[in-house]
Amino acid sequence: MINMLVGLRDWVDERLPIMKAWDTHMGSYYAPKNFNFWYFFGVLSLLVLVNQLLTGIWLTMSYTPSQEDAFASVEYIMRDVDYGWILRYMHSTGASAFFAVVYLHMFRAILYGSYKKPRELIWIFGMLIFVVLMAEAFVGYVLPWGQMSYWGAQVIISLFGAIPVVGEDIVTWIRGDYLISGITLNRFFALHVVALPIVLLALVVLHLLALHEVGSNNPDGVDIKKHKDENGIPLDGVRFHPYYTVHDLTAIGVFLFIFCAIIFFMPEMGGFFLEYPNFEEANNLKTPEHIAPVWYFTPFYSVLRAVPDKFWGFVAFAASVAIPFILPWLDRSPVRSWRYRGSLTKIALTLFVPSFLILGYLGVKPPTEARTLLAQICTIIYFAFFLLMPIYSKLDSTKPVPERVTMDGGMSAWGVMGVLILFAALTVIPIKAVGAESAFDCGAIPCDEFKADPTDQASLQRGAQLYMNYCMGCHSLQYARFNRVAEDLGIPEDLMMQHLVFDTDAKFGDLMNNAMDADLAKGWFGATPPDLTLVTRARKHPKWLFTYLRNFYQDDSRPYGVNNRVFKDVGMPHVLMELQGMQACAMGPVTAANGGVKRDPLTGEDILEDPCGQFKIVEEGSMTPEEFDVAMFDLTNFLAYVAEPIVADRHRIGKFVLLFIAIFTVFAYLLNREYWKDVH
Amino acid sequence: MSSDGVNSGRRKFLTAATSAVGVAGAVGIATPFVGSWNPSAKAKAAGAPVKFDISKMEPGQMANVEWRGKPVYILYRTEEQLGALPGLDPELKDPESLIPDSQPAYIEGVNRSLRPEILVIVGLCTHLGCAPKHRPEVGVTEFTADWQGGFFCPCHGSTFDLSGRVFAGVPASQNLIVPPHSFEDENVLVIGIDSEAA
Repeated sequence: MINMLVGLRDWVDERLPIMKAWDTHMGSYYAPKNFNFWYFFGVLSLLVLVNQLLTGIWLTMSYTPSQEDAFASVEYIMRDVDYGWILRYMHSTGASAFFAVVYLHMFRAILYGSYKKPRELIWIFGMLIFVVLMAEAFVGYVLPWGQMSYWGAQVIISLFGAIPVVGEDIVTWIRGDYLISGITLNRFFALHVVALPIVLLALVVLHLLALHEVGSNNPDGVDIKKHKDENGIPLDGVRFHPYYTVHDLTAIGVFLFIFCAIIFFMPEMGGFFLEYPNFEEANNLKTPEHIAPVWYFTPFYSVLRAVPDKFWGFVAFAASVAIPFILPWLDRSPVRSWRYRGSLTKIALTLFVPSFLILGYLGVKPPTEARTLLAQICTIIYFAFFLLMPIYSKLDSTKPVPERVTMDGGMSAWGVMGVLILFAALTVIPIKAVGAESAFDCGAIPCDEFKADPTDQASLQRGAQLYMNYCMGCHSLQYARFNRVAEDLGIPEDLMMQHLVFDTDAKFGDLMNNAMDADLAKGWFGATPPDLTLVTRARKHPKWLFTYLRNFYQDDSRPYGVNNRVFKDVGMPHVLMELQGMQACAMGPVTAANGGVKRDPLTGEDILEDPCGQFKIVEEGSMTPEEFDVAMFDLTNFLAYVAEPIVADRHRIGKFVLLFIAIFTVFAYLLNREYWKDVH
Repeated sequence: MSSDGVNSGRRKFLTAATSAVGVAGAVGIATPFVGSWNPSAKAKAAGAPVKFDISKMEPGQMANVEWRGKPVYILYRTEEQLGALPGLDPELKDPESLIPDSQPAYIEGVNRSLRPEILVIVGLCTHLGCAPKHRPEVGVTEFTADWQGGFFCPCHGSTFDLSGRVFAGVPASQNLIVPPHSFEDENVLVIGIDSEAA
């Protein structure tokens, strides 16, 4: 058997140089033996690339690139396709992970001068990869066809309108329509799944070929090819395989642990990886309150906003992306690594890194005057880092570079901690200085606490019953299926169909649509009652819904005689009135944005000067206020479940996955230690 | 770099152990990719069991119901038609329906049905998948010498009796398939759900 395989290998090798290729790139590729932490991110970006390609291919099998069906098909993947949610979260988390590792990979090159001669071309290919990756991520973000997909695309495509004379024509040409539409979606789909991945793969191959031609740099910036043994092998080099393959395995284990922790326990990453408004389908007539790009674009987006002019803002934005291309020719230092450079370089880095992070932070926040000023300062530092480099890198003092690589160079653990703390402080302090968020999460009031419990079947069943009786008449759950809900909630089919499904035509396996005519409903309520499948995710947190449901109050100026403190002037009648009764505004305490209550400085009692600071019941319902709160908890809990029915599975599987990866990492670490114990 | 301290046994063990865990991991990673190719909830809903009310059918009548995208023939056979079936055995390829997967285990005998008169078969020829025509008239000589009624496939001329059993000398080699079915009550036939053992 082994002989046959060897025979096959030799047969192929006589016709295709596979053994030579293996030697060139793995077996006899000599890499400096002093790689540190920063050298893991190249291989990790390859890993993420493979992840994106595989999960991406699998997602296209169930995704529908059309204006009508795109959003629904993503929910179809999340609910109806077996394991679809894992594939989708792998892909969405992978997008962010890609940028995380690529940014760190690029920073490594800046630290150790890896772009300097003779590695300029590697850097150029790398920058091209980065730009193509940005394009790939941008068109990919449009595909789910949520509100952020739509309005993010609107903003970014409109940027091209800043180009003089031909700008508007270019914008129309990119969209292929007079607005962003299904036509735009279709071409972005083609770019995302075919054109750009091909370009990306080609560039990755070029990047690696160029690297393996000149050899890897290292933290000392020393050329290892200067000192070779009698066989022509660099004295400071180790074979990539097995030394760096086992070395990278450990890093892959750690990376996968973090990656899977995000997939299984926080796939939205607090709205940074999956933005909440994107759980609402694209609507070209309704802009979300606040549009922010995904975090990996925000540093450059901040540069755009920092310039108070459309054209020059676009120029600054484009320049901020383009300027690193010429880094190899901006750096005039005779040494590569920062280790042997003087204080000017260190000061430049200390200003540059926090500025870049601050720009990233500001890009996700709505602009204020103070924030814009800070963004302008950071933009200037960002450009100064590059544009002044020819001067400060030349003026900077240098230390003698050793002839051979060092295994104990660089900073001590305490030094690393110190720098991290310094960078964190330089990032956080300016942000805090311009901070002060003042809006409440729930309209005019802070949200009430709510913690969903997807394991409490009794609560979910009661919630489902309330929903079917009071909500389903107007609000469909069009991405969920009756049979799935019944199965997950432990409701037998016959009970479900008899007591909870009122549409006589509905079958057990059907989507939970309702019979109300959308146009008629618009006439009755002023707006079509929205589908509620994803309401708890689109509103950032189920506690919004929990608070909303309990804050209807009497307001005779409104068509239905009620208003809501969370959603002012909502078109919905108080359908739960028979349960809750009617509340009316009463003088109550004034709540500050920080959650504090205004009190009398003498007596310490709350000052009751807000005309709607609290409610009094003016008409009793069938439930006591406590019973009603429990009922609303159940209803919200049910809707939180419907928004992501796999949440319980996700947590359960996630624990096993993390445990498994931990075991793998331990073995990989031991193997790595075994190979490296004799490398000094 | 020296290779004095190489503990090759330890190296081998750790390489094997890491590889084993890695292979297990690869299988784990493959699971969602392989599993996502199974019929989705949407496909399963579309392929859900189909109910059919037989109370309005008359003897001799045939109904055509779609189940999982396939035509399913429901035939209400008359006493005479049933009576003619056993006599056809010598002319058939598989009179006892012994070829595996021709019918569920609870279907047996020449009638191939739960209730003698109600035949339920998938209306796709077992030769190359055309839909056979229902030809109940007796004595059509172009099919067999003494045609007692049955099914005729227009594509390649296969013929079947009124129990869907294939005649000898035609391209099809298996009887028409009886799908899983059951009776929910007196009148409601459910295609797609098996009967409890007959």
